[in-house]
Amino acid sequence: MRLTLARHPVTDIRFETATRLEGTSLFVDVEELRRNILEDDSLRNVDFETVCPGENCRAAPVFDIIEPRAKEAGGSQDFPGILGSPVTAGMGTTHLLAGAAVTVLGERAAGGSGGAIGRVLEMSGPAAGGSPYSSLNHLIVIPHARSGIPNHAVQKAYRVAGLKASVYLARAALSQRPASIETFDPVGPTEKGHEGLPRVAYVGQIFSRQRKPEVDEQILYGANTDGMLPVLLHPDEWLDGALVPSYYSSLGGAETYFYQNHPVITELYRRHHARELNFVGTVATIAGSDNEDRDRNCRAAASLVKWVLNAEAAVLTKYGGGVPHADLAETARLLEGMGVRTAVMVSDMSRDRRVESALLFNFPEVNAIVYCGGNGTSWNAPQVERVITGSPEAGEALAGLREIGAYNVAGVANQQGASRLRAVVY
Amino acid sequence: MRVVHYLNQFFGGVGGEERAGMRLEEREGAAGPGRLLEQLLGGNAKIVKTLVCGDNYAVEHQDEVIASVLKKVQEAKAELFIAGPCFEAGRYGMISGALCSAVQSELAIPVVTAMAGENPGADLYREALYIIDSGPSSAKMRDVLVKMAELAKKLVAREEIGLPGEEGYLRRGLIRDEFVEQTAAKRLVDMIMAKVTGGPFESEMVPTSFEPIPMPPAVKDLSKARVMLITDGGLVPKGNPDRIEGSAATRWGAYSIEGLDDLKGDDYEISHGGYDPRFVQEDPDRLVPLDAMREMEREGKIGKLHNEFLSTSGLANPLSNTRRIGREMAEKVKKEGIDAVILTST
Repeated sequence: MRLTLARHPVTDIRFETATRLEGTSLFVDVEELRRNILEDDSLRNVDFETVCPGENCRAAPVFDIIEPRAKEAGGSQDFPGILGSPVTAGMGTTHLLAGAAVTVLGERAAGGSGGAIGRVLEMSGPAAGGSPYSSLNHLIVIPHARSGIPNHAVQKAYRVAGLKASVYLARAALSQRPASIETFDPVGPTEKGHEGLPRVAYVGQIFSRQRKPEVDEQILYGANTDGMLPVLLHPDEWLDGALVPSYYSSLGGAETYFYQNHPVITELYRRHHARELNFVGTVATIAGSDNEDRDRNCRAAASLVKWVLNAEAAVLTKYGGGVPHADLAETARLLEGMGVRTAVMVSDMSRDRRVESALLFNFPEVNAIVYCGGNGTSWNAPQVERVITGSPEAGEALAGLREIGAYNVAGVANQQGASRLRAVVY
Repeated sequence: MRVVHYLNQFFGGVGGEERAGMRLEEREGAAGPGRLLEQLLGGNAKIVKTLVCGDNYAVEHQDEVIASVLKKVQEAKAELFIAGPCFEAGRYGMISGALCSAVQSELAIPVVTAMAGENPGADLYREALYIIDSGPSSAKMRDVLVKMAELAKKLVAREEIGLPGEEGYLRRGLIRDEFVEQTAAKRLVDMIMAKVTGGPFESEMVPTSFEPIPMPPAVKDLSKARVMLITDGGLVPKGNPDRIEGSAATRWGAYSIEGLDDLKGDDYEISHGGYDPRFVQEDPDRLVPLDAMREMEREGKIGKLHNEFLSTSGLANPLSNTRRIGREMAEKVKKEGIDAVILTST
């Protein structure tokens, strides 16, 4: 497996009659894109907006954020299992529009920890400084579902609309010469060239079974993960479209953008290339719905890391709130018991901001903890010139917004490792 | 800046243990360590009043002493209140903590005290206050006063207060957030590299240990026992009459099951955001096993099932809430003369 990323920087997005990339300007024929997206019968219409870095603007509720990417012929497919057949992702060349994003808005917030406004794309003000998304050029996609369609079908339509838009935009770069090309060194327990360096694996949760996934909720190669056991993935599969987030995510959230630019995987790759460590592979896992499910998943994930990847160290991230937190800690505890050293990344569980409420575990060996904050931290939400929403209700909520919490700003407390928020004990 | 300073009889220069019974007295200006403190506070800082009280009197008449200190601090138009430093003196630490805490909450002005980490006053008040770590020895008086003055100046100026190690205060056990240069992913990989190569690393959070809860004695005769069902699965009557929150609940309810043999999904709803509630909604006995308990009651396996069950929602709830809810439920259980409780969770 060898993935090549061909980067085309984009510094502005404009609506025009023919879609093309000229230098770093992306021109978009929105009529063509609209026709493409409205092939889906579940949608009655779709609107588009553009937003540039630092603009005095906010948009919500965010359904997903995606980096525009398109596969060159001869490699694997774009978002296999969702837009195409579920062939293995991560092969061949992928062209990407660096600095650009497709941001899909829902027509109402998904609920959960997001509350009435859901997750907000905040482009200016104090909270925006902590979100990597505020420095991107966004094509905002606002799909409108037909009435009477069940919620899961609406969500699927949003998903497909965002991915299609992402591929559509990046195809403009296929004929162009990229500004830079990155090819990843081979990784895996049997690859040569990194002998003697610490063998490190990544264990990432991709779903929590606190909620049953919708039957057509496409998460891993189009599968909804129901009944799935932990599975080995090549790191390039995460980066190249095998995975998208669930329709629901709690606390800091997760977006397709940071699967494509996975902060933990790209950091492990960087050090693999720098010969500081030997990146042996990844395991995608799920937080359980009951004790047996939990035991089964945690043990299976730990076994893959130890006995298949032959790792001597592992880093772990969670997906969601309390159950994922406890399962992550249990997996780490099992790994430590097998002689695999661990470091874990968790989001904040302390509603009362007391250390005693912060962690849902107390295992002496799980002692390397990266703690992203979030609870109770909020910023002044300045009045903005432009509010972009998927619904009048969201528009009202956003118009009255005076303060915005960390968990409501897309990217600030991201659970995939992009967060620069850190909890400090005092 | 007007400052009021509190001292015990010893540091106030009145006498040792033999004068520990003295009542609260008031002096104009600075006294004892207050003189150096005033200098260290610098600028226009002036200790306008020093309050001195015997340690025994203060702890034995705590409410009275707090009330008079509050009055005097207010009369003095103080903008800062300082107590101690108390080092290892337990009674002195207790009253200094109590006074600072009262002044802070009642008068909303900055307060600073200092004591050793082992001082019982530290245990009680470290979460609520900035307490400079004085260590045990009063030989360090000058160093301690320097730290107290620096911290006090920052509090008055409403500057951001640094970490315990930087400012010299006892860790309060609280969390706040800040943006840092490195992403969480970078910090994570840094940490695993340090750990796996045997290098030093600092976890960003430290687990809390809790006292083990001893197993209660077994129920002597279950066939005579009064049994109660309690759940944290969020089962509530339709309409959620007590408005029990589905997350971080602050409330709980007691719901009658008198005359019922079976719970019907139509009569109940689930206020809990942390699990898939469909199976419980379909048949609430899956969470609150009334049907099974009635059977055991009829067979004489248990004496009597209490005629109401208690319910709250156990999701993302801080211990400060759950401790209180637990205490309140335990009081109810005692009052009802219950011999055994079955706790069901999700």
